[in-house]
Amino acid sequence: MHIPDGFLATPVWATLDVAAAPAVGYLARRAQQGLEQSKVPLLGVMGAFVFAAQMINFPVGMGTSGHLVGAALLAYTLGPAAAGVVLTAILAVQALVFQDGGILALGANIINMGVAGMLAGYLPYALWGAGRWRRQTIFLGGFLSVLTSAVLALSELMISGVAMPAAVLRISLGLFVVSALLEGAITLAIMQALASINPDFVRQPRSGGGRALGFIGLTAIFLVVAGVAIASAYPDGIQKLADATGIASQAKTLLRTPLADYELGTLHSVWLRKAGAGLAGLGLIYGACMLCGKLLARQRGA
Amino acid sequence: MHHVVLDRWSHGESALHRRDARAKTIAVLIFLVALATAQRAFLPLSVCDLGILAATIIAAGLPLGAALKRAAVVLPFTAVFAAISLAAGEPMRAATLVGKSYLSALAVLVLVSTTPLPELLGGLERTGVPRYLLMVAQFLYRYLFVISEEAQHMRAALQAKSGTLRRAVWDRGKFAAAGGALGVLFARSYAHADDIHQAMLARGFQGHFLTLSGRSFRRADVFFVAGALVIVAGTRAAVEAWI
Repeated sequence: MHIPDGFLATPVWATLDVAAAPAVGYLARRAQQGLEQSKVPLLGVMGAFVFAAQMINFPVGMGTSGHLVGAALLAYTLGPAAAGVVLTAILAVQALVFQDGGILALGANIINMGVAGMLAGYLPYALWGAGRWRRQTIFLGGFLSVLTSAVLALSELMISGVAMPAAVLRISLGLFVVSALLEGAITLAIMQALASINPDFVRQPRSGGGRALGFIGLTAIFLVVAGVAIASAYPDGIQKLADATGIASQAKTLLRTPLADYELGTLHSVWLRKAGAGLAGLGLIYGACMLCGKLLARQRGA
Repeated sequence: MHHVVLDRWSHGESALHRRDARAKTIAVLIFLVALATAQRAFLPLSVCDLGILAATIIAAGLPLGAALKRAAVVLPFTAVFAAISLAAGEPMRAATLVGKSYLSALAVLVLVSTTPLPELLGGLERTGVPRYLLMVAQFLYRYLFVISEEAQHMRAALQAKSGTLRRAVWDRGKFAAAGGALGVLFARSYAHADDIHQAMLARGFQGHFLTLSGRSFRRADVFFVAGALVIVAGTRAAVEAWI
């Protein structure tokens, strides 16, 4: 589910853009360190593969069919860092060339699918992928990756105040579970085909890194639960939440104070403050991105 | 296919095509932020914004009707949520969802149909986006076609080899066959990537892409960004002051 622009409230997309920028920077560094140079074309071609894979339909009976989403499959075959980079590239190309997903909402889509969904899919594989429950683990990973992404997207929409009556919510959660089950089955079918073509395609889970990954995965799942909880507690959206906690009025005074001394009539209009805050947010995102890049580069140089 | 048309459009020679990729990216971001944060007087604002975008499309020498139609790909997704909002008794929110998502998609369409993607990604690299990520995106875009064509061949083969009589029933064999097809497609993509890397090394690849059109941020680009800011912000101020 690619969220277009215009659906998310400004605090939601701005926050997620700020969160996505350093996450993607970190994943890109990790992927670059972990892979030899020959993998650069590989990651791009694998992105094209995920695009093309949507053309192959998996018949599920009743005349309907589904197709691969691919986050868990990429994590199993390329490793989580490289999978995150490929998914980010896919989402960026989809947003730019196919108008599938927004530009301001790109951070939200990256967090939902490329980071949280991918990690939720990789987590069971990293923990139990080498054991005797391998097949079930692969299935569970595909299931979790789609379900996590979908629930995150849904809760972001609800926090932003998009109307979601209880009946609609139940139906869409049901649909998400069905498509998540399908993704698990498709991922398993492809993994079995890959194992019989060439076992080297599949990365074996490393032992030892499980604890850190487990922590990240649990954090992701916690965020999902928290998001749903907040969204259902405040069905009218973040505006109400901000009003209830007084954040909105504080933010207003914060924004007004620096401009209060100037007798510029136009600056007092609400929209200019809002647009200014939005642009300042973009500036902050840019700054955070540059800073993280610099820090990581220095860390690597040391 | 969709992106072939965009690719052709993006190689035009209008004044808009000649602007630096970064200037156009900043202008589109200004437009998107102004639109996303709009709350009051949305309907007149969206009409004005549509006018701005239409004027830009005509100035860039692109076919207006085709561009308007292409941006409509966001509407099916939006329509679902707009319908839910309508059913929940919030017609204004439904209109806002449709207007904001359509106009945002159209603005991004104007950006990519006046800027070739390699140039756009090159511009992003010079603003600090990780080069590794952008190289992956470049390869992805470049080989989208190649791999998609193979997938089409495989789909045709799969359909030719499997009957469609038992469509109504869950068929484990067919499911596994589709999985096998994607496994083979994966293996072929992998082999492609190896060949591509060998070819790149043979041509002296140094770890980054070289671009022919060395466009730089000129004075005209500064004027362009300033103009975009004045027009977009001015329109919104005027509309909100007038209503």
